[in-house]
Formats: sequence, C-alpha cells, structure tokens
Amino acid sequence: MASSSDATSSAGSTPEPSEVSESGSPSESPEGSERRGRVRLRRAAVMAVPATAVAAGLMILTAQGALGVQFAISGMPFTVTATNLDGEGFAQFGGLDQMAPGSPNEGDTGGQVLVVVSAIKKATLTKLCQSVDLGGTNLLIRAGEGKTPVSAVNLTTDSTELSGDAAFENIEIGNDASTLDKSHTQGPKGVFSQQADTVHIGNLRQTNYATTAAVFKLPGLKLSFSDKGC
Amino acid sequence: MVAFRRWRAARPFWGGLLLALGGAEILVTEKASLKVVMHIGMQGLAGYLLPTLMLILGLLILFNPAQRLFYSILGALLSLGTWVTSNLGGFFIGLVLGVVGSCLAFGWLPDQEPRRARSWRRRRPEPVPHP
Repeated sequence: MASSSDATSSAGSTPEPSEVSESGSPSESPEGSERRGRVRLRRAAVMAVPATAVAAGLMILTAQGALGVQFAISGMPFTVTATNLDGEGFAQFGGLDQMAPGSPNEGDTGGQVLVVVSAIKKATLTKLCQSVDLGGTNLLIRAGEGKTPVSAVNLTTDSTELSGDAAFENIEIGNDASTLDKSHTQGPKGVFSQQADTVHIGNLRQTNYATTAAVFKLPGLKLSFSDKGC
Repeated sequence: MVAFRRWRAARPFWGGLLLALGGAEILVTEKASLKVVMHIGMQGLAGYLLPTLMLILGLLILFNPAQRLFYSILGALLSLGTWVTSNLGGFFIGLVLGVVGSCLAFGWLPDQEPRRARSWRRRRPEPVPHP
C-alpha cells in the first residue's frame, strides 16, 4: 500500500519515473493512504460512561463511610494527624524498613529506615488528616470531621516519629516482640516491644513510612492538593 | 520510526500504554512488605494483585490486540477495584489512567479510513528538481 501511494503521489508532482528512484526517499513516504486503527469516540463512550458512573459511586460511598478502603503506601514519608485515636489491641516494636533497591527516595540512608511499628487491631480516629509531600505540593486526605469518625481495622503503621498524649490500659512493657498476642501482628525475635489492651492518643501526629493493609472507612472524605501539609 | 508507527497503527497503543502505566503507578505507591501482606491474608494481597493484573492486561493489549475487548473490560473493572484495595487507586492517578486506557482500548477499531488534512502530510517536502 505504501509503495503504491508513493508512486501515485510522486507521479503527480514529477512525471518522470526515474526521479522517484533518484530522490531515494522511500522512508519519507508518508502512510498517507494507509489504513490504521483508531479510537472511535462513540464506541469508547459505551465503556467510559458506566465506568465514570461507577467511579463516582465508589467515591460517594467512601465519603459516606459505607465502603472501607485499604492503604498500603510508602516509599516516601507522609504525615498523619488526628485529634483523637482510640484503639483496641495495641502493640508496638522497633523495626527496619527496607526500600526497594535503587529507590530514588534512598538519599543517604542506604535504603534503610529505622521505624517504630505500631499495630492496632481496631482503631477509630477523629479528624484524620494525611498528607504526602509530592515535591512542591502536598496531597491532602481529610476525613472524619463530621459526626462519624474514621475507623480502621488491622492498622499497621511504620513511623519514624510519633507524638501525642497517650494513655494505655493493661500495658505490658518489655516483651519480646515475637511473643505479642494482643494485636494482629508480631515482630522479630529479640526485639523490645510493648502491648496494651486499649490505647487512647490525643493530638496524634505521626511521620510514617508505611501504612499497611488497613481497611479504612473514611466518612467525609476530601482529597485535595495544598501547599501546606497536615 | 516508520516500523514503529506501523506497529503502533495495528494496535490500541495509547489504551494499552495508559492501562499499563496506571497499574505501574499504583504499584509504586505501595510498599507494604510482603511478610505483612501475607499475614493479613487475601485482603492485603489484593492490593498488589489488582495493579499487577492491570499492568499485565495493558501489556497484553499491546502485544495481543486481537483480544482487546476482553482485556479492556477486565482492565476497567480492575482499575475501579483499586479504589478499594490500593491506596484509593494510587491516589486517584492510577485509577484515572487505567480507566481512560481501558476505554481507549475498548473504543479502538483496526483498519479505519485515514483522516483528511493532517498537517504533517501537507508539509511533505517536494521532490528534488532535476538539474
């Protein structure tokens, strides 16, 4: 097809066939009349319309707190704040997070970050705010500012900084991390740890490297970009 | 370049590429260690499974375009599913890429009539005049 178009188009401008070979530009020949695949708008819309509707539905359900969402984030540090955190089944131990080899966030850390792993089986948080620094701008997730608080199941956070006013019930300090039984996870052998039946933290502020596989219910979800983090 | 353009013309290139990129973007936003994921079980695993499948489906659309309808429908469903399982669909970006990519792949048809009046065709250099 390309060769025939070449012949006809060049024949239009230069009548002599010898010039076609002399110009020697078969690679320049455009696939002018070549038939190529293309996206038909109406056909794409058949799928785009219901997909958009479902996406909108998911967002509304999440914002109403009817649908739980999971987080398994990181690579970059992000900040979580909440005015109140109430939890059942709390455990905490030290750990070392390994970044993916060659990760651009490695910096001078050698790809390893010393973290405090906090595990809470069931947690409710009021006025949750989570921000990720994307370089220049922050992605802000806010939720739980209305009547219903944010709830999370099997929340595991790897934090480098944790601050707040904490109160524990039935706390055991100094366990071996591999013997933890009050929460849903255990640490490595020979590591200092603590656990408690319940935990209450006011004015919570965490710098996290990972929040793992927690089902979050986020009533009143707001996703936005902002200059300032939480 | 011409070979690449011809290769591209025979498949829903942007659709497959966007779907694969969406899956990759969501995977990048996740970094839960595999040990924890296994501990949580299926629910935690789904967070990785869905974007991985998106990536694979995107590549399959590129390299096996004959089955694009099935791939794109599955791709759109998985993209929507990542909202629940994987960081709100990679903070929404990966979800949008995946859905747009799937729709483009779904709407793509091979062997269409060429568009008229494309600028790069009109700007074609004249053949060298005979000395």
